[in-house]
Amino acid sequence: MIKLKLNGVSKAYGATKALSHADLEIEAGEVHVLLGSNGSGKSTLSKIVAGSVRPDAGEILLDGKPVTITGPQSARSHGIAIFYQELSLAAHRTVAENISLASLPSRAGIFVDGDALEERAQRYMALFDGVTGDGFSLDAVIEDLRADQRQLVEIIKALAIEASVIIFDEATSALDRAQVERFFEILRALKQKGRSIIFISHRMDEIFAIGDRATVIRDGQIVGTKRIADTSPSEIITMMVGGHDETDAKAVEHHAPTGAAALALSVKNLGGRGFGDVSFDVRKGEILGFGGLHGQGQSAVLKALFGAAPPTSGSVELDGKPLNPANPRAMIRQGVAYVSGDRAREGVVTGRPILENVMPIHYLRDRMILAHPPASARKALPALQALRTKFAGLGFPISSLSGGNQQKVVIARWLIDRPAVLLLDDPTKGIDLSAKADLFALIRKLAEEGMGIVLYASEDAELLDNADRILVFNGGAVRRELTGTARTRYNLYQAAYEAA
Amino acid sequence: MTMASAPARPQSRSALKRTFERYPFLPALIILVVLIVLNGWFQPRSLSFVGITGLIKTYLALMLLAVAQTYVIYAGDIDLSAGAIVSLVNVVVVGFMAQWGGDGLTILAALGLGLATGLACGLVNGIVVAALRLQAIVATFATSIFFTGLALYIQPVAGTPAPTLFWRTYGGRILDIPFVFYVVVAFAILLVVLVRTRLTLRLLAVGDGQQEAFQSGLPVTAVRIGGYALCGVFAALAAFCITGDTASGDPLVGGKMTLFSIAAVVLGGSALAGGYGTVVGSVIGALIIGFINSLVFFVGTPSEWQNLVQGLAILLALMAGVLVGRGARA
Ligand SMILES: Nc1ncnc2c1ncn2[C@@H]1O[C@H](COP(=O)(O)OP(=O)(O)O)[C@@H](O)[C@H]1O
Ligand SMILES: [Mg+2]
Repeated sequence: MIKLKLNGVSKAYGATKALSHADLEIEAGEVHVLLGSNGSGKSTLSKIVAGSVRPDAGEILLDGKPVTITGPQSARSHGIAIFYQELSLAAHRTVAENISLASLPSRAGIFVDGDALEERAQRYMALFDGVTGDGFSLDAVIEDLRADQRQLVEIIKALAIEASVIIFDEATSALDRAQVERFFEILRALKQKGRSIIFISHRMDEIFAIGDRATVIRDGQIVGTKRIADTSPSEIITMMVGGHDETDAKAVEHHAPTGAAALALSVKNLGGRGFGDVSFDVRKGEILGFGGLHGQGQSAVLKALFGAAPPTSGSVELDGKPLNPANPRAMIRQGVAYVSGDRAREGVVTGRPILENVMPIHYLRDRMILAHPPASARKALPALQALRTKFAGLGFPISSLSGGNQQKVVIARWLIDRPAVLLLDDPTKGIDLSAKADLFALIRKLAEEGMGIVLYASEDAELLDNADRILVFNGGAVRRELTGTARTRYNLYQAAYEAA
Repeated sequence: MTMASAPARPQSRSALKRTFERYPFLPALIILVVLIVLNGWFQPRSLSFVGITGLIKTYLALMLLAVAQTYVIYAGDIDLSAGAIVSLVNVVVVGFMAQWGGDGLTILAALGLGLATGLACGLVNGIVVAALRLQAIVATFATSIFFTGLALYIQPVAGTPAPTLFWRTYGGRILDIPFVFYVVVAFAILLVVLVRTRLTLRLLAVGDGQQEAFQSGLPVTAVRIGGYALCGVFAALAAFCITGDTASGDPLVGGKMTLFSIAAVVLGGSALAGGYGTVVGSVIGALIIGFINSLVFFVGTPSEWQNLVQGLAILLALMAGVLVGRGARA
């Protein structure tokens, strides 16, 4: 029996087609796996079904009848629950409160029924008895919990809705083996009861352990659906990639410098929060790519090298000289640059003029105390022009620029005094396609001028198109190095999706 | 840069930390006790029954307004019009009583009208901020001008007296106990009741993150409007106390209380960003401001220096609160 059906559901964010004409059928009593690389549209599809994103077109049918889902509350009342990939927990509230947040049991209509609240939370928490770890209790505050424990709360929150369709969007990414085992037992029990489950995960072993059918989605389009029993990991990866060897990297234009080029950066056995034993070299003129699934340690390594979250072990050499990444100020003075894709939080100085957004690094490196605006402008303009930044005037606030141009301003900061090494932490997040092309052209130019560049990109296509060499991260370690013609989508996925 | 943390702290240390996290108003309470002791040191009579009664009478309005502000701040919003609502309710209540006489029934009707006025102002704020999605700071600044304008229209100059029965009751005694103590008890009960409501919990959840709250299925707009409505009602209650204390109508009486109410919330350990805090803390914060003001007076500060010293003392209290809190949580 078909429980949930999507007909031609589409969603675009500006020029990005997050989902195009998606058709999907979910049966009652099945675990339906959704598969696709980062940015392929899985979360968008999930959120549309769960009511927190409005589709541009298409219809949703439940039990064969078309329904209009106007918001998360409306989705719940239709019997749809979701585990959000980025979680939906209130950080300062307790576990029990979070579990029932949207449907607080009440006394006299206005008071929270504390007993019912705890009883309800207790009942669902019991499902995970023994695998929750220390400090996990009814009245623990979310903020104090570990990442895996927060995911458990979000899982329990979704379970407590007792919905007939439950979506788990990367619900196992931080869980350990025992927790995953228990979670799968719960899923099997739900299946027995005839519930429909949409399960999103990147781990092949999990998909084959729990899934009944799998649908692959690529660039916002549904590629096809297979019975798990009739398929194999390599067939699924081929579907995700779209042909075995067809989408090779632009390996042909091979700019990578020869092995003789001097080392810009040499990292040995680096360890810290979220990664361990990472070693690599970056030559002058080279773009080294970091690949793999989200959050496998790529950003953590870059932040550690910049001193933002100093490493706890290992050694780093810059231009052959040992370096201690103690804090960002020291690293900036040594000539290490870092650009984050999270502009709003880690890049721009919001509300301040463009000029002031270009200059801080220069001020720091020159140990300047007083700023001299005309002199600053003389330095800032060439840097901005080199990036083809579109702006009305240096005095305009940074917020008057598009995301792509804001990011160019952030990069321009580093061009006044050239760094030796440029660390790019998913720099193109939320930037339009033409600005992306500009940025990558610039990055290549900087490399050709002798800079050593490390690029982490969460979109695999960017990496394959722009990196000379790719290190695939998995579980905080480098799993595989792809060079030359081995830089294919297929190889990248295979290394990324292997069980860590 | 922080050094790698020491191997495991003693158990008692983390228990202290947890206590401070659970009761974010503890630093404020410590500061309050210090201030009370200082007050008693410089002027023993200030801690007498009469002294305390007088202080409560004067600062009850600020306590109520600080609580009003807290509900809005819970949700990560702010209300710069809270003081203007106090003024408006003050002139509405006094004007109504002046018009219809000062007997008990009229007074009750006037108070009812005052509550309705406060509620209406709160709803206007809530709709402007949450439904029309204007910036809370600017939008409530604008409505504060609007409410003040209304108050000035109703009563262009200060001085209309409140009926004798009204201020005599507020300043008087029942069964030999000052009336304000009954108000304090009623206030305390009201707060205890409100702490247990779903609205309070939802406000805090919205303050923790609107996106998360929306995705969880909370009616975010309605919750935020609810916070402003509650703020309006408490501002009206604050206006009643002011009216009882000053015994007259004044269209500008509440204006300067707004920022004091916000200061009280912050002194009480609540986060301006929302999601975290207590109303008890805000009451303590208002008392801290009250005791600072009376201390400044009792140590004999010359009048032209009083504002300066008050300002410095509030800054000190804020810093002390941050330091105590940080020390305990570290
Ligand atoms: N709120 C948003 N604004 C702009 N673009 C978005 C937004 N959410 C998702 N996208 C874009 O839509 C595409 C699909 O994203 P998503 O559904 O999150 O992919 P997945 O979950 O498969 O990784 C991506 O290109 C992403 O950048
Ligand atoms: Mg996703």
